[in-house]
Amino acid sequence: MSEIVIDNITKIFGEGGAKPFTAIKDVDFHVKDREFISVVGPSGCGKTTLMRMVAGLETVSRGEIRVAGKPVKGPGPDRAVVFQQFALFPWKTVRENIVFGMRSKGASKAERDKAVHHYLTLMKMEGTEDKYPHQLSGGMQQRVAIARSYATDPGVLLMDEPFGALDAQTRTIMQEELVRVSKDNPRTVMFITHSVEEAVYLADRVVVMGRNPGHIREVIDVAQTRQAEKWSEEPIDDVMEKSSFTHLRGQVWRLLREQMGDDM
Amino acid sequence: MNRSTLTGAITVVVVFMLWWLLTSGTGLINPLRFPSPEGFASALGRIWSDGYAGGTLMEHIWQSLRLVLIGFLTAVVVGMPLGFLMGYDRRIEAFVNPIFLLLRPIPPLAWIPLAIVWFGLNDASKVFVIFVSAFVPSVINTYTGVRNVRKTLIEAARVHGATEARVISEVYLPDSAPMIFTGLRLSLQASWTTLVAAELVGAFLGLGRALQTAYRDVNTSMILVTMVAIAIAGAITTILLGHVEKRVIRWRATT
Repeated sequence: MSEIVIDNITKIFGEGGAKPFTAIKDVDFHVKDREFISVVGPSGCGKTTLMRMVAGLETVSRGEIRVAGKPVKGPGPDRAVVFQQFALFPWKTVRENIVFGMRSKGASKAERDKAVHHYLTLMKMEGTEDKYPHQLSGGMQQRVAIARSYATDPGVLLMDEPFGALDAQTRTIMQEELVRVSKDNPRTVMFITHSVEEAVYLADRVVVMGRNPGHIREVIDVAQTRQAEKWSEEPIDDVMEKSSFTHLRGQVWRLLREQMGDDM
Repeated sequence: MNRSTLTGAITVVVVFMLWWLLTSGTGLINPLRFPSPEGFASALGRIWSDGYAGGTLMEHIWQSLRLVLIGFLTAVVVGMPLGFLMGYDRRIEAFVNPIFLLLRPIPPLAWIPLAIVWFGLNDASKVFVIFVSAFVPSVINTYTGVRNVRKTLIEAARVHGATEARVISEVYLPDSAPMIFTGLRLSLQASWTTLVAAELVGAFLGLGRALQTAYRDVNTSMILVTMVAIAIAGAITTILLGHVEKRVIRWRATT
């Protein structure tokens, strides 16, 4: 059971210094086990900071984050991160990259070989195990990064705008692939994105954040509609034309637009 | 033979013919100022078989090569870990960097008098001066390389459960390797430069000593022979280092 409990947290950068900056204030949220959450919000709303705190890459100023009941004290293989810039190790082959996290957990050679085969098949990348990242396209590199995180077998997957650096077409393909992969390999996912479509298409619930300082504005349920309308059985472009989809997308958009209004 | 080797070969032949023409051919250049090819060849023959300035050419080369390698390797063995620690740990950086900034502008050759006082007119003083000159680029480049290791790669390793030892050996070292090797190349160059200068001051054997003796004898042929020998010895060590680099940084070679 890998639920994420974000227990009333506040993040202040440069606390005690001359110019403390409150990035996130009083955020309280629970992600259920195997739930897919996407987080959207205007830039500067602290969504990436929130994810980094769950990852243990950033400390929490007030409050506490618990994953599977244990307080987060630093990074760990129970919470793998997929980064926007892929962050593959350029000196490691595809195979070595994929098994990186498995080696932390002491997986045997046989287990590692099996996982490489499994994930490369899953990602439709057979035959690339001995290539280096720079020999692959951006979309391929991000598949390897996703495989690396899945292979670590974490309870929680944290994704920080993973498709943000890809071109529009590759991005659409990757979104579809992610739905396919996570259907058979459910994990607790926190997915940070700029794209409203992406957020609604992928998530069970969309968390809309606001800024000055970062807070949760509203949480929108998508899972019910998805199941009722059987989104996962149709191609992505058909889903995005459904009225149930456009309705939810409009709802998220309006919330975001109000945010922008605050600035004008 | 491909085009560029052919061009290279033609250049060498043309330069050689011009050299002969300007010296022996027309006598435009006085052999006391610059040797003719024949003068060069006879000087080479003399130092190769009979010896000159206390040793044969191979003995001089071996002596110099030995000092360079000892000084260079000591500098690398001490300098790389120090540079690594400076780049890795802010506290060590804060402590060591000021000392470094203070010592850095001192030209390595300025250490020669102190080195002689401390170690005497022997190999140790020369190794010490070579060490000093090779030390600085080793430290600075390792430090810079480690300091600029990509933060996301360190984070990617940590979020996939890597221990600190693995983060160091599988992220810090490979990501800083190109920069570290730049430092090693600079160190090696500095070693040769310093060696010759150190041997000019006082030595019983070595290429610098041979050069110094040839200068006193106003033997331009022998001066040129030793200069060419230094160039070749330096080039060979640089090429060897390049091979080590290629082996270590394999992921870049496989494009």
